[in-house]
Amino acid sequence: MIEQLQALQERALARLQEVAANEDLARFENWRVEFLGKKGELSTALRAMGSLSAAERPLVGQVVNDVRAALESAYTAAYAQCLAVVQLRQEESEALDVTLAGRTPFVGAEHPLQKVIRRIEEIFVGFGFTVEEGPEVELDYYNFEAMNFPKDHPARDMQDTFFVGPDLLLRTHTSPVQARTMEKRHPQVPVRIIAPGKTYRRDDDDATHSHAFSQVEGLVIDHGVRMSDLKGMLLAFARQMYGENQEVRLRPSFFPFTEPSAELDVRCIYCGGSGCNTCKQTGWIEILGCGMVHPNVLRMGGYDPAQVSGFAFGMGVERVAMLLYQVTDIRQFYLNDLRLLQQFVGLIR
Amino acid sequence: MKITWSWLGEYVDLSGLTPEQVAAGLTDAGIPVEWMEPFVTGVQGVVIGHVISAQPHPDADRLRVCEVDVGQEQHLTIVCGAPNVAALQKVPVAVVGSRLPGGPIGKSKLRGIVSEGMICSAGELGMPVRLMAKEQTDGILVLPDDAPIGKAIVEYLSFDDRVMELELTPNRSDCLSLRGVAYEVGAIFHRTVTMPQVTLQDVRANGPAVSLSAEIDTPHCSAYAAQAVTGLTIGVAPIWMQMRLLAVGVRPISNLVDITNYVMFEWGQPLHAFDYDTVSNGKLVVRQAFLGEQLTTLDGHERALTPEMTVIADAHHALGLAGVMGGANSEVTERTRTVAIESALFDPLQTRRTSRALQLRSEAGVRFEKGPDPAAVTSALARAVQLMCAYAGGEIASTPVMVGRDLREDAVQEREVTVSPARVAAFLGVAFTPDELHSVVQRLGFQAFDEGDIMRVRVPSRRFDIAIEEDMIEEFARLLGYDRIPATVMEGPLTPGKLTLRQSLRRELRQHLLAAGLQEVWTYALVSEQAAQKALIPSDHPLAHMGALQNPISEDRRLLRSTMLLPLLDVAQYNANRRMQDIRIFEIGTVFHPYRLPMDVQPAEMQVLAGVLTGHAYAPSAHGDARKLDFYDAKGMVEGLLQRTGIAGQVTWSRSQEPFLHAGRSVDISVGGIRIGLVGQLKSAVAKAYDLETVFYFELEMDALTALVKAELHVTELPRFPSVERDLALVAPRDMPVQTLLDAVWGHGGTELREVTVFDVYTGERIDSAHKSVALRLHFWHMERTLTDDEVARYMEQVLAAAATFGVSLRG
Ligand SMILES: [Zn+2]
Repeated sequence: MIEQLQALQERALARLQEVAANEDLARFENWRVEFLGKKGELSTALRAMGSLSAAERPLVGQVVNDVRAALESAYTAAYAQCLAVVQLRQEESEALDVTLAGRTPFVGAEHPLQKVIRRIEEIFVGFGFTVEEGPEVELDYYNFEAMNFPKDHPARDMQDTFFVGPDLLLRTHTSPVQARTMEKRHPQVPVRIIAPGKTYRRDDDDATHSHAFSQVEGLVIDHGVRMSDLKGMLLAFARQMYGENQEVRLRPSFFPFTEPSAELDVRCIYCGGSGCNTCKQTGWIEILGCGMVHPNVLRMGGYDPAQVSGFAFGMGVERVAMLLYQVTDIRQFYLNDLRLLQQFVGLIR
Repeated sequence: MKITWSWLGEYVDLSGLTPEQVAAGLTDAGIPVEWMEPFVTGVQGVVIGHVISAQPHPDADRLRVCEVDVGQEQHLTIVCGAPNVAALQKVPVAVVGSRLPGGPIGKSKLRGIVSEGMICSAGELGMPVRLMAKEQTDGILVLPDDAPIGKAIVEYLSFDDRVMELELTPNRSDCLSLRGVAYEVGAIFHRTVTMPQVTLQDVRANGPAVSLSAEIDTPHCSAYAAQAVTGLTIGVAPIWMQMRLLAVGVRPISNLVDITNYVMFEWGQPLHAFDYDTVSNGKLVVRQAFLGEQLTTLDGHERALTPEMTVIADAHHALGLAGVMGGANSEVTERTRTVAIESALFDPLQTRRTSRALQLRSEAGVRFEKGPDPAAVTSALARAVQLMCAYAGGEIASTPVMVGRDLREDAVQEREVTVSPARVAAFLGVAFTPDELHSVVQRLGFQAFDEGDIMRVRVPSRRFDIAIEEDMIEEFARLLGYDRIPATVMEGPLTPGKLTLRQSLRRELRQHLLAAGLQEVWTYALVSEQAAQKALIPSDHPLAHMGALQNPISEDRRLLRSTMLLPLLDVAQYNANRRMQDIRIFEIGTVFHPYRLPMDVQPAEMQVLAGVLTGHAYAPSAHGDARKLDFYDAKGMVEGLLQRTGIAGQVTWSRSQEPFLHAGRSVDISVGGIRIGLVGQLKSAVAKAYDLETVFYFELEMDALTALVKAELHVTELPRFPSVERDLALVAPRDMPVQTLLDAVWGHGGTELREVTVFDVYTGERIDSAHKSVALRLHFWHMERTLTDDEVARYMEQVLAAAATFGVSLRG
């Protein structure tokens, strides 16, 4: 009996191999019914056990179980293997050209000037600043007078102005937001604001001049603000904006609304300071104008210069963008050629 | 402001310094040297020659064969084509082996005669010919008779002098003179400044004397000084003076005029010379012009004067515009023998307005506008008299005349500025020592007196930019070096940095549109006069009422945009003309709505989020499912924005009447009866005007959105009981807006109706042409229990009954 069972196992396994070689899943079921089904050979063998002696029965029973387990395990493995092959063949037949582009969505990019403004905003918001805005059609008072440009003063020549009405003009800088902020906040301190916005000057448009451009203004007023704080703040800004190891340098300058006034240079971001065409071999690049708020400006804003002091700074957004992205013609920012603007799609910061 | 190295060296000790060092020092101190270069470059080996003879060339009518002595043993034979060459002239000679800006000079054969070099014109030498007299530039350059034979021309004409262009900030107009720059260089490099020692002199005993007097009859002149000089021979100024003037960009004219210009550059004080014989009775009056008075100025233009302008006049008529330009009637000519030299202080404002009104800009005007140093007025006059005596054969012919404020040098008040060293330290964040502060004061040529804890600094009148303590703080900082200021961390309370709701919303919506595949653009706020017309906006439409610039730079940039439509369509057109098909752009920009025209108050400035879409709905691919954008894509884009803002549910939509939009495919977006935006297809005529085909425009007012925006959210509990869905297939009149139907459904669907979706709208063969079929799915649920079929059936009956009143029935 035992020999019969072992012969059965061998036969069944041999058949299974044949079935597997055919790679036909339907035949597996036939094999299962034939050998393992209720009316299959193994069941038949089991039924024949009734004729065995009580002593033989457990022994043979054990062998029957072993054979069943071996066949079932062989079946499972062979079936799985065959299934994988069959499925793979199916998938191959369904294969696509995966190198072909998908249904690519349109992707927009932030305008480079907006990107620069957002970066500057993020840095200063991180420093505890808020963002103020002001009108583009501005009163002469806020644009000039409150910024310590007396009427008919030659300093007004620095900023050729578009006029739209009596004492009404297109702001020539974002500085009037300083005046408006002081007027609104005085005598509260601290004041820590930046003011990005569009500005206008009566310039002919060329590669380096634009009648419309943008600035980011900054203003800090508090008790005991020092010029060294201005330097420290702008150094921190420069390191976030232009690189961890940046250095800054202040150079004397003039603005009617600050005293002392300075230009701030950073190490050339292209040559690191060794000198190149971008920095005209100086190793430094001017990035903004700044200074200590002029006492007249504080006074007109409602603050007492004997009690508080402050600093202010202003930078040209186009200039920063031209520097960062190597744009050589300022008009490109306003031409909005999609072939140029779409290059910014892949720029994360 | 241009200066030259040699000229500067007349007044300040430059020994041991190089021009490069001085340029760097000035730049670091806040007087940037924009560029520095030799007066004339490219000349080498050119020497002064003496023309011994000039004979006609035997074979060429226009050529002369010259024998020229250049100080060598042998005279040179030089063939010259210039008609003005003549024997006995001193001329620049480019000998063989020398070099001109145009290249090296060799022997050449001209019509059979070998020329051993070339006699040069000013142009060939690379001199600034546009500033030179025609006699000096036509033909060869003829040098003064006393020019030394054989001397290098580079040296004789100071070609190697270094010219520096200073970029002066408006506060440093003291440096509009060599004197000012000399003091600045002196302060930077601790050097002594020595100005020519001149004082006004009286007439020589028994010398020639004329009567000269002056009177000020206007508040716009604070002081007037003058002196007469006679015996003059009008000719050319010394060559060194001409070269210095040329180097700083001033046209040499005659010895007299050149001297006034030279002194103006030296002292910063503009001067004017009147032909004395044209001044009636030798009496000069400073007064305001009369109404209707005329004056022909030196440039030959007849000027209509107004009473706002100050003139110098005699008893009969105006002789010059104060501080702006002299009159032709009193001009110095070749025949002039006696002049009255004026040195005065005119009101800067007045001068500025006059030169603006007449559009006359001159070196003198620039200096008067900034206000010259009162202490230099008489020095400059004395210096001019001295030079006229030295270089024009003049002799003092009158007592110096001085009217108005006392201008004697010691009478001009010095300003006193009080400085607290403690405040300097607190203000800059660096503590300079008392010695350092004093050394700066001394270097500047100021004086300081210690008084307890403070310093009293006496500032000479030449530095009128220094008036308050902060001005002195800047002087300390810049002369001790801005590098001495450390970088410190600001003290004071922490402040939370944040964006306003409006700013945050702008960012959110921008990000939304970028992700939705729209490119952000930045356009100019100024548009052309024709812009509205191009977009078919009629002239009586509010959007056509745009504020105008009073002084536009071009007609293309004249009006303040009233709508983002105009600039965005320009961008679309620009890109369409460059074969871009899929143009999807947006901008958050400012539009200007004036209250009145012309504007007399600030207009309403509104921020608008606007976009233009044309081309495909999805980027075309190889997968054969390209589709052009349609109205519902554009509207969906806006609906996305409204969802993003959290106000989609509050919005009502109604047909738009905008003249530039397709009448049947455009919609106004309102909340609470107020329009906050619109979206629609552009009229085909508008699209065509911009070289576009089907194009959509949308805009939303940012302030309206900000006012409505949801900044907080409390979530609604989710239903715990199953919802019930019912579909309705309805037949509605074809032109009935689905919104009408939806309003009826929501109005009668009961409180448990939670959602209604339109999942199909059909018109076509399977339905008569007066109707359309609309398929709705209604979702009901109750928060506390399961709804029964009966309840839902009742709601559905109510809905159908309401719909029936609009002629809507169940589809059979
Ligand atoms: Zn560099």
